[in-house]
Order: sequence, then structure tokens, then C-alpha cells
Amino acid sequence: MQITLKIVAIVVPIMLSVAYLTLAERKVIGYIQVRIGPNRVGPRGLLQPIADGIKLAFKEIILPTNANLFLFVLAPILVLAPALAAWAVVPFDEGMVLADIDAGLLYILALTSVGVYGVIIAGWASNSKYAFLGALRSSAQVVSYEIAMGFALVVVLMAAGSLNLQDIVLAQKGELGFINWFWIPLLPMFLVYFISGVAETNRAPFDVAEGESEIVAGFHVEYSGMTFAVFFLAEYANMILISILTAVMFMGGWLSPFEGIPGLGAMFDWVPGIVWLLLKTAFLLFLFLWFRATFPRYRYDQIMRLGWKVFIPVTIVWIVVTGVFVLGNIPPWFD
Amino acid sequence: MELFIFYAFAAVMIGSALAVITVRNPVIAVLFLVLTFFTSAAIWMLMEAEFLALTLILVYVGAVMVLFLFVVMMLDINISVLREGFVKNLYVGIPVALIIVAELITVVGVKNFGFEKFAAPVPHGPDYSNTKEIGRVLYTDYVYAFELAAVVLLVAIIAAIALTMRRRPDSKYQDPAKQVLVQRKDRIRMVRMAAEKKKSD
Amino acid sequence: MLENYLPILVFLVMGLLFGIGPVVAGFILAPNKPDSEKLSPYECGFEAFEDSRMKFDVRYYLVAILFIIFDLEIAFLFPWAVVMEELGMFGFMAMLMFLGILVIGFIYEWNKGALEWE
Repeated sequence: MQITLKIVAIVVPIMLSVAYLTLAERKVIGYIQVRIGPNRVGPRGLLQPIADGIKLAFKEIILPTNANLFLFVLAPILVLAPALAAWAVVPFDEGMVLADIDAGLLYILALTSVGVYGVIIAGWASNSKYAFLGALRSSAQVVSYEIAMGFALVVVLMAAGSLNLQDIVLAQKGELGFINWFWIPLLPMFLVYFISGVAETNRAPFDVAEGESEIVAGFHVEYSGMTFAVFFLAEYANMILISILTAVMFMGGWLSPFEGIPGLGAMFDWVPGIVWLLLKTAFLLFLFLWFRATFPRYRYDQIMRLGWKVFIPVTIVWIVVTGVFVLGNIPPWFD
Repeated sequence: MELFIFYAFAAVMIGSALAVITVRNPVIAVLFLVLTFFTSAAIWMLMEAEFLALTLILVYVGAVMVLFLFVVMMLDINISVLREGFVKNLYVGIPVALIIVAELITVVGVKNFGFEKFAAPVPHGPDYSNTKEIGRVLYTDYVYAFELAAVVLLVAIIAAIALTMRRRPDSKYQDPAKQVLVQRKDRIRMVRMAAEKKKSD
Repeated sequence: MLENYLPILVFLVMGLLFGIGPVVAGFILAPNKPDSEKLSPYECGFEAFEDSRMKFDVRYYLVAILFIIFDLEIAFLFPWAVVMEELGMFGFMAMLMFLGILVIGFIYEWNKGALEWE
């Protein structure tokens, strides 16, 4: 019972953040393009996501004639469930984690690899060419970037010496505040992980799987109403997950950036850890939106090249470099 | 509680394993196989094999079955043609099946796999790290086997490429590496010339 | 150890429920007025050509196979990375050799053009 309550306490804020992330996305991109974005529903458009949600709930769910109905309805659920369940091991503050398992990182990697199924099943069950093409593109892309992601996680592991996400955050604690975080010694991995995360969630500029202008929304072209909404929820929940994981693994999680720095450290002592974590996550989420407003869509061969020919060699080299760092006890990170 | 979870997962596992071989549509069969792997991972977890359980999901569910799905979905197999051979090959099929069943019973029967042979897994505390235990032996005591695994993987890479690589000579493509490295001077040539005087007539 | 996994099991089940809930709500709340044109697969307004389950490029299989191999590598790297400091130089050398053998495979892929998408 207590567990159920805790899970609700995690999922409800995620759902609210997803709702307001959609608004934030439209507002941010609007301002970047010198528009003001949605501003009609509620003060400054603040009730827009709620109106959108209600609208979607009353939209007809179309079940295509040639579709495999059971799999068609199951697919969005299979995308959402792992996107939510991965949150079980995310530490929000010291001791504030639902399941303090030892193999946290492995669990996250296993769950992200399961997420592909929803997309493949959706594409196949729809029995539509665009859906099928989108699913193929998406799964090949997700699978390629997962390797780079996995290697990046291995490097984090080497640096932290533990699979547990709390221990990973604590390994970044030190006298020098934000300089102690892993983003400096593992800078290439930080970039590889975050960019792979963008590719993994099929976000711009890696959104060839949806490609509105070429394959009319790809794998979810046949979806409407609430089934579509669930896909949407999952995509945004995944974005938030990737951001919070990047913050935990490379940007010190709940640690204050000024910790140990004379003067500043004491000044920000009263700020609870979770606020720092959420600020870092919000910054990374802003990057997602910024990318979308800035970059043109990648071509598919460029995506594959970046994943296989750039990221994988970089990560392999960095495994060796980090090995030398750790065995050589390079201060201030690995002493 | 643990017993209940075990029986629940075991029941789903056996049910879906049966479904794999009885369902008509190959794609659905593969999806049932995924469910079987997933539930067996849960059972391994109950046996305190944390690392192996998660790796089962990571490697089998996350990678191997994706390949299976790709193959099965896109081959568009005509099921009715496959069914024609069913009765014809039955007289070979049944003896082969019986031999395999007999082999299975002798190798993994109750005699070799009973409760007496294997002690129940010792429950560990929350701080116990299964992954660390594996790491401590895999790269020291079993380092030879570990390097052999690398060689096996190398063979797999070479075999996969040798079997599937077909370069079409007529396909046109760009090299993104070259495109990325393009400099301004490769594309634009600035020409400076004196202004021409307009002829007055 | 197992007691730590109980919340995860509950979370997985609830994750499914959080997906099923909206879909069921959608089926209850939304109107349902099907007609044959509405239910036909979308093909930019044309009648659908042939069946959509078609053969496709073998390259996708190759990507999937290479992915399995690299995924296995990652699975091998995980336990090593956790105990790297304990194992010291010996473990590091063992892994360098492992990676070295696989880098040979990677270079082979690269030279054969298996990583190119044309």
C-alpha cells in the first residue's frame, strides 16, 4: 500500500511535468521564432495542456480495418510502461529513492532497450506503409544509439565504481563543488550520452522516424485520440527521464554546485537537494527544445554515421582513457 | 509472498512458452517468446541472480528478439504453403521429437536437477552486489574463457558481414564524412575583377 | 536484495495500468462512428497499394546483428567496470585485450562498409 502511494507520488508529478513540458515546448519555440505561442486558454495560455488533454479524451479512436487490433491497442501501453518504471531507481535526494537496488544502472539500460518493442509493434500492427517505414527507421536508429549509450554508462560505472545511482551521485561529491562532478573528466561521454538520449527519444534533429514532412508522423500515423496521447506521454516522459539521468550521472544529481566553495557553499546550504536536481533537469530539458528550434532534421545515413562511426569509437577510446584516470588516481575526481 | 510471485511467473512462463509453438501467426509467436524471456528473467531474479536476470532482459529481450522480430515481420512468409508439408513430414518429425525429448529427460531430468542436488539460493542483504561477485571471478579465474568469448564475438562479426553484406554497384550515395568536412573555400571561389566601363554610344 | 525489487514489480504493473487507464477512458468517452473510408490505411488520400507488409533492405538485419554483438560486449564490460579498481592492472590488461580483439572486428566492419548507409 505504501509502495503504491509512493509510486503515485512519483508518477503524478511526471504526468503534470509532461503536460506542462508540451506547453513549455510550444512557448519556447514560439519565442525563439518571435511568436508568443499559445495564449488563449487561461492566463497566458497556462491551461492549454489541460484543454489539449480533454480534447484528446473525446476524440474518436480509429481502429484500422487491416490492423491487428490487440497489438494495435497494446503498443502505446508497452511504450509507456518502461518509460515510467525506469523512474523507480532515480534518486531525488539522499535516501529519496523508491527502489534502492544495487544494479540500478543495468536496470535502466535493460528498460530502455525494452522500449523499442512498442514502436515496432505499433508499426507492424497498423498495417500501413508509413507506419511500417517509421517503425523500421526508428528501431534501427534506437538500437544503434543504444550501443553508444551503453558504452557511456560503462564509463560512468568505471568512474563511480558502483551500479547504484545514489552511489554514483555520492562519488561526485567533493570539496570543489561542480568541478568534482563527472562532466569534466567524462566530458565526451556526457555529450555522447545526452545526444544519444535525444536520438533515443526520436526527438529533433533525429526525428526521421516521425518525419512529418516525409512519412507523415511515421509509426503512429494510424493512431488517434487517447492511444495517440499515450504515445505522446511516453515520448515526453522519456525526455524527462533522459534529462534527469544525465543530471544524476554527470552533473552531480542533487548535489549543490557550490558545495565546499568558501562563502558560496554556506550561502546556498538551505536549498534542498531536490531543487538542484530539478533545476539541472529543467536546463537539460530546455536543451531538447532548443535543439528542436535550431537544427534541421538529419538525413538517415548521417544519423547512422554519427552513431556507429563517431560515437562508438569515441566511447571505446574513453573507456581506455578513464581506465588510466582511475588506476592513476587522478585528483580531484579519482583520488 | 515470494512463493506466490514464483508460481504466478512460472504459470505465465509455461503458458507463453506453449503459445510460442501453437500460435499460428509467427509475429505473435515471437512476442510470446519475448514474454517467456521476461518471466524467466523474473524467476532468475527470485533465485538471487540479479546480474544475469537483468542481462537476460538486456541481451535477449532487448537485442536478440528485436532481430527475430525484424526477420519474422519482414519476410512475409506464406503460412498456408508451410502447412502443406506438415503431414508429409510427420513420420520423420515424430521420431526426431521423441529422441530430443528422451535426451532432455536424461540430461535435465529430476535425477540430475532435483532439489537435493542444488541448495536453495541464500538470500542476501540489500548491500550485496551480485555484479561485483561476477566481476571478481570473471576477469581473474576465468580470464581465459573471457578472452575466448571475445574471439567468438569477433567470428560472429565477420560471419554476419560475410553473409549479409551485398553492395549494390548501382546505388548512389553520399559520404557524410566528406560533407561534414567541407570548407567554404571548396565551394565558393571569390572572383575579383575590375569594374567594366559601360560603353557610351 | 529481493525486497528491493518488490517496488519495481509493483511499478511495472502500475506502469501498465497508467497506460491502460487513458486508453480505456478514451474508448468510453470518445464517439465511435466508423466507416470504411475512415478505417482504411492512410496513404495520402490514395487507395492503398498492395499489402503493406513487404520485404525490405537486408541492411536492417545487419544493424540488428551488429547490435546484438555490441550489446553482449556491454554486458561483459559492466561487471568489469564495477570492480576495476579492485582488479587493478591485471583486470585492465585483460579488458584491453578483450577490447582489442573486438576493435579488430570493428575495423573490419568499417573497411567492409558495413557501417555505411547507402
